[in-house]
Amino acid sequence: MALLEVDDIHVFYGNIEALRGLSIQVDGGEMVAVLGSNGAGKTTTLRTLSGLERARAGSVRFDDQDITRTAAHEIVGRGLCQVPEGRRIFTTLTVAENLALGGYLMRNRQQELRQRRDVVYETFPRLAERRGQLAGTLSGGEQQMLAIGRALMTQPRLITLDEPSLGLSPLLARAILKIVRRFADEGVAVLVVEQNARQALAVADRAYVLETGRIVLEGAASDLAADERVQKAYLGGFEQIVEEEEGREKEKEKEDPSPLGGG
Amino acid sequence: MASSPAALKSVTAPISKVRERIGRLPWWLQLAVVVGLAMLVPLYNDDYVTSIGVSVLTFAMLGLGLNIVVGYAGLLDLGYAAFFAIGAYTTAIMTVKLGFNFWTTLLPAIAFAGMAGAILGYPTLRLRSDYLAIVTLGFGEIVRILFTNWDYVDGPNGVWNIPSPSLFGFDLVDQNSYYVIGVILVLIAIIFARNLSYSRLGRGWVAVREDEFAAEAVGVPTLNLKLLAYSMGGMWAGLAGAFFASRVSAINPSSFTFLLSSQILILIIIGGLGSLPGVILGAIVVVGLPELLRGLQNARFLIFAALLILIMLFRPGGLWPQVRARRAPFVGLEDEEEKQAAERPFKLQPSVAEGEAILRVQGLAQRFGGVKAVDDVSFDVRRGEILSMIGPNGAGKTTVFNCITGVQRPKAGRIEFDGRPLGRLKPHSIVRRGMARTFQGIRLFKLMAVFENVMIGASVRERNLPWQALLHSRGERRDERRALKEARYWLRFVGLEEEAGRLATELSYADQRRVEIARALASEPMLVLLDEPAAGMNPTEKLELMRMVRRIRDRGVTVVLIDHDMSLVMNVSDRVVVLDRGQVIAMGTPAEVQNNPRVIEAYLGRDDADEEAELAEATGGA
Amino acid sequence: MSIFIQYTVNGLTAGAFYALVALGYTIIYGIIRLINFAHGDLTMVGSFIGWTVLVSMGLQRLPVFLAIALAALASMVVTSVINVGILQFAYKPLLNKSLLAILITALGMSIFLQNAALLVFGAGVQAYPHLVTSSGVFIGGVRISYAQSIFFTISLVLMAGLYSFARFTTLGTAMRALAVDHDAARLMGINVNRVIAIAFILAAILAAAAGVMIGLYYTQINFFLGFLLGLRAFTSAVLGGIGNIPGAMAGGLVIGLLESYCAGYLSGRWQDVFVFGVLITVLIIKPTGLFGERVAERM
Repeated sequence: MALLEVDDIHVFYGNIEALRGLSIQVDGGEMVAVLGSNGAGKTTTLRTLSGLERARAGSVRFDDQDITRTAAHEIVGRGLCQVPEGRRIFTTLTVAENLALGGYLMRNRQQELRQRRDVVYETFPRLAERRGQLAGTLSGGEQQMLAIGRALMTQPRLITLDEPSLGLSPLLARAILKIVRRFADEGVAVLVVEQNARQALAVADRAYVLETGRIVLEGAASDLAADERVQKAYLGGFEQIVEEEEGREKEKEKEDPSPLGGG
Repeated sequence: MASSPAALKSVTAPISKVRERIGRLPWWLQLAVVVGLAMLVPLYNDDYVTSIGVSVLTFAMLGLGLNIVVGYAGLLDLGYAAFFAIGAYTTAIMTVKLGFNFWTTLLPAIAFAGMAGAILGYPTLRLRSDYLAIVTLGFGEIVRILFTNWDYVDGPNGVWNIPSPSLFGFDLVDQNSYYVIGVILVLIAIIFARNLSYSRLGRGWVAVREDEFAAEAVGVPTLNLKLLAYSMGGMWAGLAGAFFASRVSAINPSSFTFLLSSQILILIIIGGLGSLPGVILGAIVVVGLPELLRGLQNARFLIFAALLILIMLFRPGGLWPQVRARRAPFVGLEDEEEKQAAERPFKLQPSVAEGEAILRVQGLAQRFGGVKAVDDVSFDVRRGEILSMIGPNGAGKTTVFNCITGVQRPKAGRIEFDGRPLGRLKPHSIVRRGMARTFQGIRLFKLMAVFENVMIGASVRERNLPWQALLHSRGERRDERRALKEARYWLRFVGLEEEAGRLATELSYADQRRVEIARALASEPMLVLLDEPAAGMNPTEKLELMRMVRRIRDRGVTVVLIDHDMSLVMNVSDRVVVLDRGQVIAMGTPAEVQNNPRVIEAYLGRDDADEEAELAEATGGA
Repeated sequence: MSIFIQYTVNGLTAGAFYALVALGYTIIYGIIRLINFAHGDLTMVGSFIGWTVLVSMGLQRLPVFLAIALAALASMVVTSVINVGILQFAYKPLLNKSLLAILITALGMSIFLQNAALLVFGAGVQAYPHLVTSSGVFIGGVRISYAQSIFFTISLVLMAGLYSFARFTTLGTAMRALAVDHDAARLMGINVNRVIAIAFILAAILAAAAGVMIGLYYTQINFFLGFLLGLRAFTSAVLGGIGNIPGAMAGGLVIGLLESYCAGYLSGRWQDVFVFGVLITVLIIKPTGLFGERVAERM
């Protein structure tokens, strides 16, 4: 039984179907990447897992329990925590306060909290230096570390990350992904959504490629990295069609020039 | 597919159906029926009932005015009674103290209230809507206190013996004649309000309400329109005030309290924001309900408040919400020849020659809170080319767009468009100069019809004046027809003519993006900036988009494109600019850029050996 | 000089009451972006509950401080229940739908509470017992009544309590986090609905305290007192920067002082014009209030 099992979920925004029957699985201690272009449905997937969006059909099971309709704050308590896109840290609170909120559900177990906080500070020494500073004044990379640190505080068994490399320098992006990889090695499952395909595939165990709300490819990360189709899916996946269609178009245009095409 | 929305629909469907049926009749017929029904009231010949009718009419007039401010333009106003007071006092002072005839006081009452609107509006233009609540509330209180302390009008006692109007020698004293006058005034007010609603102004206001930022960026002069909304809203209240003063014959400041302001606000919101039938319904509810409950004596306002809350809970959109969707928006519009389309009245001719730089960006820099988003970026866009800007997320592409379109003020740098510097022009002025854009996240005006969204673009260089919209004058009608034709033309261009009458939100992701493109093109730009137009499109849609981009260029419009989709970019562009961490790292033809090692590194990442050092460096460890 | 100090003392006392009520506006606005028009009226109800306990139920015969403590406690409990009821019934269903619709239900609640009080307690003025107002001390020509010193101190203690709660407890931190981002708070396991309810209870407790003290201080209350009080308090909250807890405290005191000076040196007739004039001027110069706003950016 996998730790996370998503089965054929459909999610709508108004009339727009953002996820059209998506299924994925994540095992304990595994790092899984979800790749895809903007608007493919990556963020919606993570939001649905976290209970911020509701699937109209299909099911989400975590640790063998159905969480399709569970409230977002309860899902965190079960051990699934998300690092949202754009970090979404609490900018008007200090670094230490942000971390304290990560431990909100354990707020009566100060001893344990202190230990977890020390682990976070060990992982991200920069955060320890800035603990009294307002989070809004941190640099982009530090904010990302805080967002991850805050999620670590909730004691997750599955941590999902939405575009952790967004807006970071390649160097920093790589560093963040490697840290995340280490979580998986320590037994925390990781589901990471990335646009930066190459880097994500370099550290993940497995990967899915998402296109317009559906999984179009899946497999071991190393296989996918070598796969030509991944490049295509990442690049939009329509180069082939373009070439074919363009060829046909040119044939046609010779005979029947389009009325709107000409200038 | 399980569906609480569907269940809800089965409940509200009958109401909506009735509304839709009625809505399909011509609007003047609807109005005639309403007036006919209204005229039954005096026939009942009960002074009590008629006087309630007069109150409903007064509130309807007020509601129609506040509807412009809150309903159309989305500006919260909690001090609207002040304008009503100004109108009433103008009439009272002019008739009682200065001996004018009632009819001659109408225009001054309207004018003073309108001016007061401008006075209130001007300093509050930059305030966000929640702050408007307290400022307008304060304004209302200040005006009331000024009247209370003004000895000329007898302070708290107010003005007495305001004469009733006379017409052709008859004194109009009884409730029935007031009622008839009221119906006529409301009728005029409704016609004017309707004219406004479906004019360039009305669309502009709704655009401001839906998304002020986007409205400005697609060519709506938002500050002017907000000021105008306050001023026009004030005028309606001025008229209602004049009518009220003469009807009650004695006025004092206690008639113009916050309670009145909140009643007017309540009536337009339970009626349905922006909806004219809603205003009438709301006025009937707000005036009529307490009267119906009169038997309950002291408890009547308690019950009224409870009912009010229930109405809001069960119909948060109001009793008769305005739906701007239209079944067949282009019916009756003669078909346009392609030739005619070629000679477009607002088509701008670039002054720079083909192939020369139509847009010149030099040394552009922008920072947010110490972080350099864009640092010394320089590039040219040549007239007639398709230029793409690519780079990793956060590289500063959208920031460059925002600086070019005037949405943000760059910290440094110079931007020249068509041979002239853009300086500190507001976004809407830049659109008028011939530069249009789309947005990364879709920013259509959601509760407007698709064709109206496009008409916003088509109207940016129109010059008709507010009074023309009010009277629906011939010039304004001509402009409207032109804008409608433009909308149809551009919706055809993007392949969405069939969807024109639907609400923008009802369209699919890809179609919404196309409407954005049509809206931008409708302003007849020389240069169009497309921010990630392919996001969320499937391969077929992307292919169509690619062709569309070429068709746009073939019409003589220069295109600047941001997109992540490399195959789209490489296929469609003449040249590519690559941004990374706020700087231009490469520029050239697609082939040149594709093989540039720096681009490969910035975009795809490179596998490096020295991992531990990198890690420690990044996280701040030793 | 001594008259200036006298005005200052009077202004600070009234300002402390405004600040307590302003905190209610600011807490609620901060986390759900609602101008809770019913809050002034809730304070009025709190005042009447205190009056009921002291006068109708006769607790005024108990030792002064015990009587006041019991009245305040009863008032806090009842207003908390009412406020959470209002939240659940009138605001919650509309929370993620339409801000304007909630604003109207808030206005409706305001009218409802006023008329409910009118029905229950009548249209006339009700007299609070003179428990603490009768005596005071003179310091250099300035009269400071016991009521002033006691109520000002109590208000400061309550404000300090709220401030420490928000500043130093995890729950309070969660409340401040809601002002930034609801979804991110959910992702931390914070039960957003519960925290909102707690905020409504805190607002009600402060309102009840203010209501009872206002009754004891001015000794006369009526069903309409919530309107003006709410207006001043809301003005205070905006002046200090809405959503900002220390801002609301400072705003309340500033408004109290402005009003007192204006009434003393100019004329009582113009004090509202003066206060609103200052507010509008401040907002034009600094659109986010004196101390800056702290509100949710998204809903």
